Amino acid sequence: MFPDFFNNIILGLSTALSFNNLLFCAIGVTLGTLLGVIPGFGTLAAMSMLFPITFYLDPTAALIMLAGIWYGTTYGGSTSSILLNLPGTPANAVTCLDGYPMAKQGRAGVALLMTTVASFFGASVGIVILMVFSPVLVQFALRFGPAEYFSLMVMGLVAASVISIGSAIKGIAMVALGILVGLVGLDINSGTARFTFGMFELLDGLSLVALAMGLFGVSEVISSIRSLETNKVNKDISARSMLPTSDEVKRSWGAMARGSGIGSFFGMLPGVGASVAAFMAYATEKRLSKEPSRFGEGAVEGIAAPEAANNASDQTSFIPTLTLGIPGSASMALILGVLMIHGISPGPSLIMGRPELFWGLVMSFWVGNVLLLILNIPLIGVWVRVLTIPYHILYPTIMVLVCIGVFSVNNSTADVLTVILFGALGYVMRLLGFPAAPLLLGFVLGPMMEEHFRRALLLSKGSFTTFVSSPLSLAFLLVAAALLIWSGFSAYRRKTSASFKGF
Amino acid sequence: MVVRNVQNVIGGCGLMAIGSFAAGYAIMTLPLGSLALAGPGLFPAALGGILFAIGVALLALGLSQPGERMEPFDLRSFVLILSSILAFALLLQPLGMVPAVVVLTFLASRADSKLSMKATAILGLVLSVGSYLVFRVGLGLPVSAVAFLP
Repeated sequence: MFPDFFNNIILGLSTALSFNNLLFCAIGVTLGTLLGVIPGFGTLAAMSMLFPITFYLDPTAALIMLAGIWYGTTYGGSTSSILLNLPGTPANAVTCLDGYPMAKQGRAGVALLMTTVASFFGASVGIVILMVFSPVLVQFALRFGPAEYFSLMVMGLVAASVISIGSAIKGIAMVALGILVGLVGLDINSGTARFTFGMFELLDGLSLVALAMGLFGVSEVISSIRSLETNKVNKDISARSMLPTSDEVKRSWGAMARGSGIGSFFGMLPGVGASVAAFMAYATEKRLSKEPSRFGEGAVEGIAAPEAANNASDQTSFIPTLTLGIPGSASMALILGVLMIHGISPGPSLIMGRPELFWGLVMSFWVGNVLLLILNIPLIGVWVRVLTIPYHILYPTIMVLVCIGVFSVNNSTADVLTVILFGALGYVMRLLGFPAAPLLLGFVLGPMMEEHFRRALLLSKGSFTTFVSSPLSLAFLLVAAALLIWSGFSAYRRKTSASFKGF
Repeated sequence: MVVRNVQNVIGGCGLMAIGSFAAGYAIMTLPLGSLALAGPGLFPAALGGILFAIGVALLALGLSQPGERMEPFDLRSFVLILSSILAFALLLQPLGMVPAVVVLTFLASRADSKLSMKATAILGLVLSVGSYLVFRVGLGLPVSAVAFLP
């Protein structure tokens, strides 16, 4: 087996490093990073724009380029999370929690560097797992039925709700509200319209991008206008200021390792995306930390873990797509689309029948990530300069970016109006101390969770025992319960000094 | 009953309101079905119930536990920023990107009275032309720069 493995690596490298493939890899990752920085303009939009070009390319190059965009956007997305508190992609929303405070403390350069390094670390771990364990992992992922998925998502959501600095019950309330908002629209199972109040624009549900932009970005702008009068701007943007302290480096290693592991795991499960991975990684770090109060104030582990997780999960998401033909998300479906257009069917036969395609793609992940590392580090200096712009010029620019960004996703002015709703809600939530991130995650996972819930109950003919009879499902639910109890204890202990901070 | 924690009292009441609305609306307009064959209204109703329960708990907490003072509600920024988005949405298709962005910039910058009229105009122009170049020319977004009404 080992000689085979090395042969494959060499085959892959020779494919990935051919001039043609290298060129398209570079184009893909560059576009991906730059587009990822624009808040709201996400991975799917970027990939869709370049999809037609792939018709004219050979399948390997096409896949390499699309894949480059796919994981490149997550690299760039952390930039606007840190600098502007606007998640570049939903998976970067968690990075806002500690990244933005770090920027406000004048450590934006450090934050940007650490997220780039963590992203590379996470991606590398993900790629190694992809390379070595694909067949084994596929078997594992196949054992997940609707009950397991439901319990997994419950665990993810509970983790998201207890990470907020404020009380956990507010977090749970926001998760529930997020799920409720996510259910707006047409119900797939029954064809009924829910909460649309007769408006046909709502049949497709509310726009995720509009929600994220309004909840995070607009609410931030509204609340910052008055309070940033004395905005101390860090003029030191030399290379030295980008470097983390040795203390921060020490803390980050563990965070990155754990984040990569968590991300790789979640990425493998079709349907569960990078966002969940990032949230779980953050929650885990906070739970394992000896000083959980540092989180939300600019703790470097708070950005290293989720960024490692989301990039690791980006890489391992290819496992179910390539080996089973099951796309985990709309972006993966585009990648499958490329394969099918060229007449290639994904599945176990892909690895055997077209090894140069599979291994070439996998090796291109390495190449792409190295390119991203080289590309992003000098850019940090550029981004940090953005912070030296006085806020009264910056925030109208942010508003323009948000509005056009949201519009560009679906060419829909209705989406822009949605931003107003969530901007207002987000601002009120800030004042009342409700965290925004759990709402976002609830929105993303809610519909899927409901589907799994209904399916599980359908299969068990209405019996709830299906959720506890499976060991995996039971395990997830127990972890969720443990998280709840744990945070209940800590809240009880710090009764008098609870600080209710939103974002 | 003394309001000890304003945030929790308001928050609790808000959650109770949203929760009861969601559950009520779901129960009245959607079929709930049974557990074995869950209808579209089941999950929303349950969620509404959860929200209501949390709202009650939060309200109770707000009446018994003291908390921090709430930040004041910045009405001016709130109204101006949100209206700037509304203006953009309403003007984009009838009038084109440049006017929409200029009006957006103008309204948004009024929230913080630091920019002079002239500076605001310049910023508006820069942003609108810049956006046009990036989004229309660069990315092919189907908007016109300035639409002329027929």
